[in-house]
Amino acid sequence: MRNGGRARLLLVTLIVTSLFLITLDLRGVKVIDGFKQATQTVMSPFQRAGSAVLTPVKNFLSDVTHLGRTRNQIEKLEAENAKLKSELINRKNADAQLEQLKDILDLAGTAGYKIVNAKVISQGSSQSFSQTVTIDIGSNAGVKKNMTVLSQNGIAGVVKDVYPNSALIQLASDPSFRIGARIAGTQQIGILTGRGTQSASLQLLDNSTNVKEGDILLSRGSIANRPFVPGVPLGYVTSVDNSAGAIAQTATIRYYTSFSSLGVVAIVLSASGSNPGDALVPVKPRVTPIPTVTVFVTPSPTPTK
Amino acid sequence: MASTVLLMIYVIQESVVSQLRLPGGGFSILLIFALTWAVLSETEVAAVIGFAAGFLMDLSQTAAGPFGQWTLIMLLAGYAISYIGFGDDNVQANAIGIIFFVVIANFLVEVAYLATAALLGVSLGSFVQILITLVGMSIWTLLISPLMLPAFTRLHAMIFDSRSAL
Repeated sequence: MRNGGRARLLLVTLIVTSLFLITLDLRGVKVIDGFKQATQTVMSPFQRAGSAVLTPVKNFLSDVTHLGRTRNQIEKLEAENAKLKSELINRKNADAQLEQLKDILDLAGTAGYKIVNAKVISQGSSQSFSQTVTIDIGSNAGVKKNMTVLSQNGIAGVVKDVYPNSALIQLASDPSFRIGARIAGTQQIGILTGRGTQSASLQLLDNSTNVKEGDILLSRGSIANRPFVPGVPLGYVTSVDNSAGAIAQTATIRYYTSFSSLGVVAIVLSASGSNPGDALVPVKPRVTPIPTVTVFVTPSPTPTK
Repeated sequence: MASTVLLMIYVIQESVVSQLRLPGGGFSILLIFALTWAVLSETEVAAVIGFAAGFLMDLSQTAAGPFGQWTLIMLLAGYAISYIGFGDDNVQANAIGIIFFVVIANFLVEVAYLATAALLGVSLGSFVQILITLVGMSIWTLLISPLMLPAFTRLHAMIFDSRSAL
């Protein structure tokens, strides 16, 4: 009985103490917060140590339990990575095409050409040893046969065949390509013929013509600007053949246009009434002089020992 | 000696067990320990053990309710478990009996906590989440108790000089 009474007394005391603690906390007594903060201060080193020890185990268990999800996540991230890489490459291509487009527009704007832009969508087959490309616009966009095709640097070719939504372009490097050319700054004219490479042959009509390396060639133009509009940069002279007794003077020309990297081209729909003359001649890069320092040394009158 | 053991279990709970992100809420080794010792002890001892364990649980930073809530619940739970199970060999002399007693007591303690929390105005989350946590904790207690039981009973025997080691 005595033990039962003592047990009850103990129980009541503990219950009252618990209720007292609850009341203190609900009334916002700061002592309770102090207890908790002190406990947390003491426990935090143990918690840090526990975290350091258990983190590798947790990671292992997490990887095992989430194996399928982790694998899916990895596959998803790899696919996203590949997609982003592809977008980056496309973006770079788009930037390059944008640069080409800007240069074409500058060229056409200076000369007053009315143009329509097109993307090169395929390279022509080399089985027949011809140099052609296909563009993504055709008669629906106003393109017709025998129109001049420009690149960012100058002549690219001429429209050979037209379809409703595409067109075949004969490149200036094609062996059967012929264009009347004029040496910039003079009235000397000749015929430029493609060779299948980046170079072309120039046959001057006058044997007494004075041609030198570095001379720039422009298109002479055709009647009614078809197939060629006047004043388009073609290339520059790299070598001259001055064989004695030759009927006509010949020279080797290097085209400005890089035919292997054509992305965006422009088709000249119409030209202005006036000849642009030498307005489209590419400007030579200016060499920036490197400053030098001259040191003057004056010998002393008496030699040093 | 008993208070030292209790403090050690509390440190293990706060620094190791609480680090584990187990599904379904996990388990509380301090709770399992206190309930196991309550089964093996007399009512007075069980009440004090419950009081001390509850006090430590209230000191934990993860305790959501007012200070003293766990103290009151664990005190009453310890006393009740000991009152029901002490002296009954079907419970104390049988390891499986102790384990199931502890699991059921764990569940009821959690329900008591929810009830008192509702009375004291503590917000506890959605009904579904509470249910998942209750079931999860019970399952984890069922899994962990058999592993911890030999150690806890040996400690109890060592400290209270009883023959309850299993």
